[in-house]
Amino acid sequence: MTHLARITTAIALTGALAITACSSSKPDASSTSSPGTGKTVKIAVWEGYTDTEGKAFADLVSQFNRTHPGIRVTTLETPNDYMLQKVLTAVRGGSPPDVAYLFGSWAPSVAKIPSVVDLTSTAHSPEMNWNDFWPAEQQVATVNGKIIGIPALVDNLAIVYNKSLFTKLGLAPPSPDWTWDDFRNAAKALTDPAAKRVGWSIPADASEDTVWHWEAMLWEAGGDILTPDNSKSAFNSPQGLQATHLLRSMAVDDKSVYIDTTNSKYADLFNAGKIGMLVTGPWDLSGFTVPYGVQVMPTFAGSAAGHQSIAGPDNWVVFDRGNDRKQAAITFLTWLTATPQVKQFSLQTGDLPIRRSLATDAAFVGQMDKALPGVQAFIDNLANVKKARPQVEAYPKISLALGDAIVAVLLNKRTPEEALSRAAAASDQALSGG
Amino acid sequence: MNADVTTTAAEVASLPRRSLSRFRPSPWHLVLIPITFVLLVPLLWMLATSLETEAETHRFPPVLVPRSLQWHNYADAWRAAPFGSFLVNSLIVSVLTVISTLVLCSLAGYAFARVRFAGRGLLFIVLMATLMVPFQVTMIPEFLIVKWLGLHVWTQLGIDHLGALIVPNLVTAFGIFFLRQFFLTIPIELEEAARMDGTSRLGVLIKIVLPLSLPALATLAVITFLDSWNSFLWPLIVVNSEPRMTLPLGLTTFQGAHNTQWSLLMAANVVSLLPMLVVFFAAQRYFVRSVAGTGLKG
Amino acid sequence: MAAVRELVRDRQPTASRVRVRLRGSDHLSGWAFVTPATVLIAIFGLLPIGWSLLLSFQQSDLLTPSTPWVGTANYRRLMHDHTFAVSVQHTIVYTALFVPATMIVGVLIAVALNRNIRGISLYRTAAYVTMAVSTINAAIIFMWLFEPSFGVVNRALGWVGIPAQLWLSNPDQALYVIVAMTVWGWTGFAVVVYLAALQGVPQELYDAAAIDGAGRFASFRTITIPLLSPASLFLAIWLTISALQLFDEVYLTTRGGPLHATSVVVYYLWDQAFNQFDAGYAAAAAYVLFMATLVITYLQFRLGDRYAHYRR
Repeated sequence: MTHLARITTAIALTGALAITACSSSKPDASSTSSPGTGKTVKIAVWEGYTDTEGKAFADLVSQFNRTHPGIRVTTLETPNDYMLQKVLTAVRGGSPPDVAYLFGSWAPSVAKIPSVVDLTSTAHSPEMNWNDFWPAEQQVATVNGKIIGIPALVDNLAIVYNKSLFTKLGLAPPSPDWTWDDFRNAAKALTDPAAKRVGWSIPADASEDTVWHWEAMLWEAGGDILTPDNSKSAFNSPQGLQATHLLRSMAVDDKSVYIDTTNSKYADLFNAGKIGMLVTGPWDLSGFTVPYGVQVMPTFAGSAAGHQSIAGPDNWVVFDRGNDRKQAAITFLTWLTATPQVKQFSLQTGDLPIRRSLATDAAFVGQMDKALPGVQAFIDNLANVKKARPQVEAYPKISLALGDAIVAVLLNKRTPEEALSRAAAASDQALSGG
Repeated sequence: MNADVTTTAAEVASLPRRSLSRFRPSPWHLVLIPITFVLLVPLLWMLATSLETEAETHRFPPVLVPRSLQWHNYADAWRAAPFGSFLVNSLIVSVLTVISTLVLCSLAGYAFARVRFAGRGLLFIVLMATLMVPFQVTMIPEFLIVKWLGLHVWTQLGIDHLGALIVPNLVTAFGIFFLRQFFLTIPIELEEAARMDGTSRLGVLIKIVLPLSLPALATLAVITFLDSWNSFLWPLIVVNSEPRMTLPLGLTTFQGAHNTQWSLLMAANVVSLLPMLVVFFAAQRYFVRSVAGTGLKG
Repeated sequence: MAAVRELVRDRQPTASRVRVRLRGSDHLSGWAFVTPATVLIAIFGLLPIGWSLLLSFQQSDLLTPSTPWVGTANYRRLMHDHTFAVSVQHTIVYTALFVPATMIVGVLIAVALNRNIRGISLYRTAAYVTMAVSTINAAIIFMWLFEPSFGVVNRALGWVGIPAQLWLSNPDQALYVIVAMTVWGWTGFAVVVYLAALQGVPQELYDAAAIDGAGRFASFRTITIPLLSPASLFLAIWLTISALQLFDEVYLTTRGGPLHATSVVVYYLWDQAFNQFDAGYAAAAAYVLFMATLVITYLQFRLGDRYAHYRR
């Protein structure tokens, strides 16, 4: 018995030593800074960059650290899907990071966190050159007139189609003049039950991914998500119904849509030639193995709205961990989003440039397109992003209601009228604080 | 042995379990092979994917056998992030968790099984209650507690230290419940005999009950190790710097926002499984109860 | 068989056995044994639960520090919440299917593995390995197996003339696919537990039954099952608790869809906390789940402890 006790004690002691040894020699990721003594200010940046983006970002960070001796940036890779849980827990626990990469859709809620820094004055500083950011980015970073984020990413939706499939079937590929009827016909022509092939795919997991596809169509039909004062829903309108009926006819009548309820199959199926067209963003381009073309989304015949697309910008959000750290974080973000760094990052990763001026830099755009064919179309398409999703607190509930509605229509469980009325009722309730 | 109802418990406990039939091919193989195959499908898929090229992993229908074996994926995955450090961290956390779980759950489990003490029933329910609230709800207060401990008790217990990964999991009601059930199947006569000889409660636990419970202990060890090894959400919340990351966190380096590097991820996953396979194999001989008796034939 | 049944029953103690008891020190030693575990669980288990209980009476968005007290408002809202009701229903259906299925598959495989033929260690390791495969990998594989157009399951059904099913895309079928996925994932656990318990079943009982002329199935019924009852009780309780808290598999595949068909309580409350920023409401849902789990577990214990073959 004493033998066992001795072993147990030994193991416990070893354990304690092991914990201490492995931890004590590592510097703390975020130590407090002492003002004005010339000591290095350490800031922690949480982001979800992996693979190519991870390398590109790491390169930029080491560049920054080298050229800014008073500041030391450390990064932590956290998957974007889990970032909010981690940040909220840290915020609640009083130890948020200095900078976090947060989805733009979270902005209205994130803005309520007291420790989130108001970046309005920073944004309007000459170095930041706020007007050089895309309107969509500006809108996503602004909540109730307060700017709480620096743009980190911009993208949009367009058609990506399988060139060889179109050629093989003798179909005219998507063109800028296409209307949604043309799209529908092409989808029908591409659909071949014997070959188990369909015209296009739509994410149908009822998440915001489903919703924003539909919202782009709503805008093209000339509709809006909410009233201008954001007090009531406006999507249960003839335009909303037009967009929804179109989806329904393709999904239920033509059966020309792959309804991807787990939102994970479309890319592989596209590469296998089982899906002819996708409505997706630039992030997918590098994974396509078939010859593809990119084209803007079709318009609705008779709609004055013309070509519309939708963007999903994300933000760098700064948390207040003391004045020195706040300033260091702002310095870092200003440098990171300056045109030379944006150029470097975009060229390395294929991500769309977050600065408008770069879209008119022909040499840059040419380089981007050479490295990643089709990305130029996406860059040009940024000009079609004229509207943005409302940055209201109730948006998550609105998204939930719309997601349900759209998937119900796709699965033929509800008529478009029924679906949209229900969604409108739920949204209005959410907007009125219910 | 004939079916004599007066056989003492000790003799029952020391009976050989199965006669060796190693040398005749058993018809059971016909049953076990298909079952094993079904159970192993994901592992085989992981192995296959880990040896494919990245392009092959995106092929559709999924490629079941890679065209050529891309062994370099393993080296590439290992180099993509400091996996050595992740492995060491995971090992430290898991091994310490298993040891403390075995010790503390044996003590508590035995008390709940055999020792009548005031408030036993209520305490058992209260401890079991901690299993009934989902982690998504308790993770924030746990974070606050761990942070407080780190600031006021010992830094190594605080946020971004391995202690924060170990200490909240040193014991769980699961282990206590598990061992209680198994201890209740030990013949009580053995324990009573030892007590009459003057052995203390602790002595009975260590000298009689534990040796007879090796299968249960080995099983609990394996389950606890597995839980700790695969634990993802708590380490994600609590770890803020790469040197403290454990394997599951390290694996996220292959999972981007829109694209996952499947071949590298699966290679890293297979490597991550190896220590567990080692633990399983090592614990094998304890899963089957050894023939040793306790020397207490009455 | 009667003699064997007697043998099994006789492993239960009779009232006339001498008990050794030193009353006073029982309380002391009992508490001494449980104190270390109790202290740790109190700090890391009970405190968080208490905190969450308080949270359920507040309105919290996890963003602003102000968390006004709202009394039972969250609970009252839950009672009228259609999606919550649907989630509860799904959780019950899921649990009722998952627990017995896993136990049955587990005990059958464990019995098959409880023999000393060549290579048995490999077979056993294979069973354990299912536990080791992370839920993410299992989820990916099952999503492919059940893919409506190209998955293996539909192809196999095609060979026997059954038309392709939508599985995870079909609100009426998605939950059952999740049952299949989780039964598969938990089989290893059940096997491991039953295998350990089978070590306590002496061979002599089977020999006696064989002498009495009992077939394999009869001895399985009269010897194995009763003597495995403590392990079965453990599994029934633990699997039920786990099933009631199902989350990962739903998160990784259907995200509660399609159309809430796979929405279970924990997924619903997670969505409330982190997508809808309504943490107080989520805590209330968690507490309703907690109370239900407590009652169910208590009932299982009361019924189970009476019938389980313990050596008291």
